[in-house]
Amino acid sequence: MEPEQIKKIRLLLVDDETQFRSTLAKRLKKRGFAALQAGSGQECLAILSDQPMDIVVMDVKMPGMTGIDTLHRIREKYIETEIILLTGHAATQDGVEGIKSGAFDYLTKPVELSHLLSKIIQAYEKIIAARQSREAAAYKAHIEQQMIATERLAALGTLAAGVAHEINNPLAIIYESAGYLGALLQNEELADMPHKAVFEKALRNIESGVKRARTITHQLLGNVRKSEAILAEVDVAELIKEVILLIQKEAQDKEIVVKLQTDDDLKPIWADPNHIRQVLINLLNNAIHATLEGGAITFEVKAAADDMFITVSDTGMGIPKENLEKIFEPFFSTKAPGEGTGLGLFVTKEIVEKLGGHIRVDSRVGQGARFVVQLPSGSKLKDQGV
Amino acid sequence: MIKIPTNIMLVDDEKDFVEMLAMRLEEAGEKVVPAYDGHMCLDILEKEPVDVVILDIKMPGMDGITTLRKIKLLHPLVEVILLTGHGTTETAIEGMKLGAFDYLLKPADFKDLKDKLAGAKKKKDAQDERIRKAEARQLLRKGGNI
Repeated sequence: MEPEQIKKIRLLLVDDETQFRSTLAKRLKKRGFAALQAGSGQECLAILSDQPMDIVVMDVKMPGMTGIDTLHRIREKYIETEIILLTGHAATQDGVEGIKSGAFDYLTKPVELSHLLSKIIQAYEKIIAARQSREAAAYKAHIEQQMIATERLAALGTLAAGVAHEINNPLAIIYESAGYLGALLQNEELADMPHKAVFEKALRNIESGVKRARTITHQLLGNVRKSEAILAEVDVAELIKEVILLIQKEAQDKEIVVKLQTDDDLKPIWADPNHIRQVLINLLNNAIHATLEGGAITFEVKAAADDMFITVSDTGMGIPKENLEKIFEPFFSTKAPGEGTGLGLFVTKEIVEKLGGHIRVDSRVGQGARFVVQLPSGSKLKDQGV
Repeated sequence: MIKIPTNIMLVDDEKDFVEMLAMRLEEAGEKVVPAYDGHMCLDILEKEPVDVVILDIKMPGMDGITTLRKIKLLHPLVEVILLTGHGTTETAIEGMKLGAFDYLLKPADFKDLKDKLAGAKKKKDAQDERIRKAEARQLLRKGGNI
């Protein structure tokens, strides 16, 4: 084992014989092992409760709490710690009992230093191996969980698109029926029809209800376009100005200032401008919704190496930690019913990833939120035919 | 000015939808003939003058894309607007490549639909006009030879 690694081993010597203990510590130190010392079982447990130890080398025969008693207590509370027992020459029975109770091994006194060193190293290797297999298991569980989530999401997406398709047809029937009746009411012969205003109001409600439902089904189908996807040089700063212009009314209503900061020498990127516009619109709408009256929203555009970073920060109420992972999931919304589809950020993420980029969010409650979109600036997209 | 009605054929297997939209379009001054599948659509095109076909994509039997292909082959001057609840970007692109005038997803805003219809009718009229002129020139030339 490398001296560097040896130095890292957290070692505790427990023995009531001070002389023996300090001599052993000194000899260990010469070989690169730094060891703490304890004069009793109680002292050993006190140190363990204060700082974790990898290996405890402990005498069995101690007044008060014996080594075996201490061993039991360590096993109960500190699963990762390995214990090497030291027994008297004639008391190997203690050692055997110790191993049964979970000690790594035992050595008989007088201890031969090279034996002890090799035992310590073996115990430490066991600890490392256990730690690695625990980490591997945790990683595997994490990946599996992610895969389940991804698959579930994909299945949900397929299902949702299917449902959206099926719902569009009956929606169209409702919409055209209401529309036809609305048109009939405009006829002169019905000018003095009783309760005409109520009929008109009801028809308008039906129509606006259909439109709400349509926003959801159409968004689920990924904004079916009337024309082919295009790939062009996109001046992101220009596009942001356009989007701000488009949505400025909503911002002005809440007296929110929308700012734009860009690098001077920003180069255009290759992408579908409709896609980028959709991303910007969704993020700005989101920020306006989250920001209280009189707040501020800032767009920042920066280029770095092959990527472009678009940051949207707001001074809004922030996102609670438990929601941070959910906000990109479909149908997750904190808005009131009818106000949000819960699809904006989901669609945004889908688009950004389709463009070969990433989106992430930093936020704390009360400190606003910051969405960062990272997009490849370049020619790579051209080859993918996005 | 009196509005000249557009001759519209509405093709969709959703009968309630066809009925309602047809009445609504007629209320708006258009002339609508209904069809409930692709075969019926092609049969009517043989018999009646149609300016614009509003065509669903997902229909039992002959689907909308196949119907569109046949319309464009047999009646290239008839304009087609795809109107479907089963839209994907791919079918939209395929439809446009096959010569559809435009593409709308159900339920489509009535004003949008009317705008598209007007656009399609304008295109159809311009084509008809060009053909009439070409035919007239041909007649003149023939006449000159006699």
